[in-house]
Amino acid sequence: MGHQPDLRPVQEPERVFSYFQKEWPLVILFSIAGIVFNLGQSVVLVMQGKLIDTVADGSSLPVVLRTTGTLMLMVLFFQGCRYTKRFAIRHWANLTIARMRQEVYDHLVSQSLGELEKEQIGDLMTKAVGDVDISVEGIRKTTTEIFDTGVLMAGYAATLCISSWSITAMCIWWIPLSMFLASRLKSLVALSSRASREQQSRVTGMTFDMAGKTVLLRTASMEEPVLDHYRRELEDLQRKATLASLLESSLGPLYQGVASIGFLFVLFFGGRMVVDGKWSIGSFSSYILLYAAFTVKASKASKLFNAWQKAQVSFGRIRPLLAGHPEEDATIHHPLDPERNLVVSHLSFRYPQEEKWVVRDVSFTARPGEVIGITGPVASGKSTLNIALEGLYPYEGSVKLGGWELRDLSNFERGSFISWQGHQSELLSASIRENVTLGKQGDISQVLRDVAFDKDLERMPDGEATMVGSSGVRLSGGQGQRISLARALWRGSPLILLDDPFGSVDLATERHIIHSIRTHYTRSIIILASHRLAMFPETDQVGFLSKDGRLSMGTHQSQMEDNPLYREMYELQQREEESHANR
Amino acid sequence: MQIDNPTLRVAWNVTKEHPWRIALLFLFIILVIAGALLPPQVLRLIIDTKLVPKTTEGLLSLTLLYLGLLLATNLFDFLKSALLTDYGQRLVSALREAMAEKMRRLPLAYYTSHTPGSITSHYSSDAEQVNSLFSSGLINLLIDLSKIIGIFLSIALFSRLMALVTLLFMAIMFLVTMHFRGALFRVQKVNLAQLGKVNSHISETLANIHTVKAFARESYMEDLYSKRLRDNYETLDQVNFYDSLFPTFVQVLKHGLIAVVILLTCSRSRLLGITLGTLAASIDLVSHLFQPIDLLGQELEKIQEGKSGLARINEFLSEPQEAPKDEHLALRDITPDGSATITFDHLSFHYPDSQELVLKDIDLAIPDKGNLAFIGRTGVGKTTLFRLVLGLMPPSAGKVTYNGVDVFTIPNRLKRHLFGYVEQEFVPVEGDLFEQVRLYDRSISDSDVLEALDFVGLSSLVGKPFHVSGLSQGQKQLFSIARAIVANPPVLLFDEITASLDARTEEHLVHVLFKAASGRTVLAISHRESTMRSARNLVLIQEGRIAGQGTPEKLLARLKGLEAEEGAPEDCR
Repeated sequence: MGHQPDLRPVQEPERVFSYFQKEWPLVILFSIAGIVFNLGQSVVLVMQGKLIDTVADGSSLPVVLRTTGTLMLMVLFFQGCRYTKRFAIRHWANLTIARMRQEVYDHLVSQSLGELEKEQIGDLMTKAVGDVDISVEGIRKTTTEIFDTGVLMAGYAATLCISSWSITAMCIWWIPLSMFLASRLKSLVALSSRASREQQSRVTGMTFDMAGKTVLLRTASMEEPVLDHYRRELEDLQRKATLASLLESSLGPLYQGVASIGFLFVLFFGGRMVVDGKWSIGSFSSYILLYAAFTVKASKASKLFNAWQKAQVSFGRIRPLLAGHPEEDATIHHPLDPERNLVVSHLSFRYPQEEKWVVRDVSFTARPGEVIGITGPVASGKSTLNIALEGLYPYEGSVKLGGWELRDLSNFERGSFISWQGHQSELLSASIRENVTLGKQGDISQVLRDVAFDKDLERMPDGEATMVGSSGVRLSGGQGQRISLARALWRGSPLILLDDPFGSVDLATERHIIHSIRTHYTRSIIILASHRLAMFPETDQVGFLSKDGRLSMGTHQSQMEDNPLYREMYELQQREEESHANR
Repeated sequence: MQIDNPTLRVAWNVTKEHPWRIALLFLFIILVIAGALLPPQVLRLIIDTKLVPKTTEGLLSLTLLYLGLLLATNLFDFLKSALLTDYGQRLVSALREAMAEKMRRLPLAYYTSHTPGSITSHYSSDAEQVNSLFSSGLINLLIDLSKIIGIFLSIALFSRLMALVTLLFMAIMFLVTMHFRGALFRVQKVNLAQLGKVNSHISETLANIHTVKAFARESYMEDLYSKRLRDNYETLDQVNFYDSLFPTFVQVLKHGLIAVVILLTCSRSRLLGITLGTLAASIDLVSHLFQPIDLLGQELEKIQEGKSGLARINEFLSEPQEAPKDEHLALRDITPDGSATITFDHLSFHYPDSQELVLKDIDLAIPDKGNLAFIGRTGVGKTTLFRLVLGLMPPSAGKVTYNGVDVFTIPNRLKRHLFGYVEQEFVPVEGDLFEQVRLYDRSISDSDVLEALDFVGLSSLVGKPFHVSGLSQGQKQLFSIARAIVANPPVLLFDEITASLDARTEEHLVHVLFKAASGRTVLAISHRESTMRSARNLVLIQEGRIAGQGTPEKLLARLKGLEAEEGAPEDCR
């Protein structure tokens, strides 16, 4: 205990056997412990019989004590095996659950954005987690039952035969008979369970309706007929649930009863053997106890089947998610050329599930050190242009960075060359440092100065290590935005895409940030999508994206002259700024 | 017998309904307990009176008796379970029915502050918990307790010394069980907290997936997840420790007690009256002693859980109800000749949780076959007004009357025949095409439905496969109208029904609305200009009061002026 397990993937994660293979020492341990313990059960009972005999024969106290001592030592030993078996199997199960969860997570996270959005990923994730637990629980229970039922019953049967094959030959048949009965009734049980579950969900649906459609129910005079209908469905549910519950759980005693018929033979013929002196009372009493234990186990054998079935169903659901995922290739095969220009040519883009082209036939060129402002009327697709330039979704046309087409780059390369800041801050529950570096190493004090966060940091006692996000300090909207801006800037990537980074800062801060960017990030191309145009005169190029998705690229000056919409937007904002300042 | 606790009252009623079932249940419970105690005694007889003296006379009959007792016990156990399950399911059903009946009497305000999900949970998890409390918890506790006492007493009958030793072992068992449960509980709490972190990592990943992908930091997120999994894993091992140790401990204790019992009957220290048969019987009894003690803990837990479910259901069943309606009212008392005059008599209204008046002193009379539209900015209380007209909520002051009858006193079962309410959102019901219009009213025939469908122009849907999801927005609104008119009410209420339609569908709909409105008293809410213009009279609501009344031309100008002051108009199509 206390050691941290290795959760790296197993070979062939979609096969259950692989998880046993991975922990083979553990598996051998619990197998041996399991077999020894279960066989030991019979041995203990026999020993108990011997102890009774020592008393019946009137042996001396030291003999009795010695026998008692042996018995207790055996009990301790076998129970020790039992503890080992239980602990080891559960240990294995816990490891396997952790491994499978990791595997499922890794698999899902490695999918592309388009694929993730298609699959209702939230539901998938939650179901996968639940299914992992059910599967592994089922596998664990099955494995446990193989020993606790399978090996145990084999041990009992063998001991019974050894103790008295004649009696055993007479009484043992009742046990397989009761198990046969159980298996016959199994399909009936499954049917009634299903009927009960279906009715339950029907009733729940009706309840939900009653609770959610009150206005309709009352204004359309539906309350009485609905209540009548509900009462009838409740009655039906009651009958089905009772039957299902009965079949599922109450039949255990019945099976035990059938198996117990064998007792008739044990007691009568066994008793006769004791009377005739062929059998000691001790042996007789242990035989009885053994047989009793046997019948109890037989009544629970169906558990094995149920556990296995459940496990199979759940595992079937998660198997596709265990199919492994590509190991990330963390090398740069496409180094950028020395110019590191961005050349966009006839780029068109729409989201995978949608029909509308948000970006249409856009072309422009950008050089390192340039800051390019992108604007346009509300909902014109400025953010979407940045998303297109990220290369995370398929696009049409050409986007080349440093000579390479975006779609030809690997995930790792794209992540290294392009940084992105979105409309939402998207902060993790982690420290400020981790949010900026995303787990990488390096100094962040400069970038925090660049985004004017240094003063905020001074007010935080833990500084860079301050925890933020859902489990930590709540940052204001503006603070969160500046952190995500810092994250985008920190790496100094060749292409930095920013979406409305100044939405929640005042003009002075905005000015400071733009100047920091111009000073410290001269090796990067910075594309700034914004509807705030105050700093646009400071940019090198200004692009105006119209509602039909087309981009007209120019400079602030040229847009002011040639683009009436742009001019109107800019002047309106200037006036607002002035009246704001004058208040 | 007057019981204050609503849930217990329901339980008592279920019990009273079939007294013989309950009597049988208790009979079987007693027999099951006896079944745990009698077979060892027969075994003792077999050994002491037949085997030790080595006679076979009468052995068969004793053997049969032993077997018979075993089989009978199994049978009684089965019957007990069956009856208990039966009772439990009846209880759950009765609780659900009581809650459904309660729901009819709850004020509308309850439904705005409680989601359908939370209400439904009373029916599902809470009811099941109460079931558990009684059947798996209370009754089984009784049985296991009786078994323990019975076994203990049987042993005491054999030998007081053995009883003492047994008591000692039981005490040890109990103390250790409590200790284990306490430790396990603490570890489980840590486990739950960590599990929460493990799971929230997933939702966090999804919320931030774009950033993760943009920076290609999937491996970083994977490592974070890994760390949380490993932390949880360590805690799980601690749970594992307790879970694995406890049963082995119980077994060691059991065998220990058996060994001591055997020792006690050793010939050297033979103490009064412990024969071989007694020994065998004692071992049998002791083997069955420990399991019930262990189960006691589980049953106590179930009872604890069940109590919280019980409390929640009680809270629900004790919710204050709406003032009762006048059940003596009949349709002919309200509208003997199919006429309908709606009068607002100094009507004021505020929501229960605030003192701010949403409607202030509305005083207005709409004559029979009159036609009126309420206009005003959103949120000004127009829908609330309709709810008051429909008698769904009680006014804070004043009243709304229908031909002089206070609408709030009208029973809901009459409302469909008095009001045709066409809401903005079409709410589908379970059932086929006809049911969507009929709404479970058996007095409405298929031909009535067909007539209504024809009236609104939906006859083409008849005879074809029907799915609510395949209906267009316009078709849904037409269904709403069909529903409203099929019972032939004198009053129609239209609530923003053309708000989300395209121009052509709106045209057809307006045409149908006109048809439906002729010969009826009509109240409408709208802020679509087109609808406003087509009404004969408009009433402007501003800040909860009537700010103006009159023809469309006059009032629309006023409305526009108001909106210019306050900002851009809502209707900018």
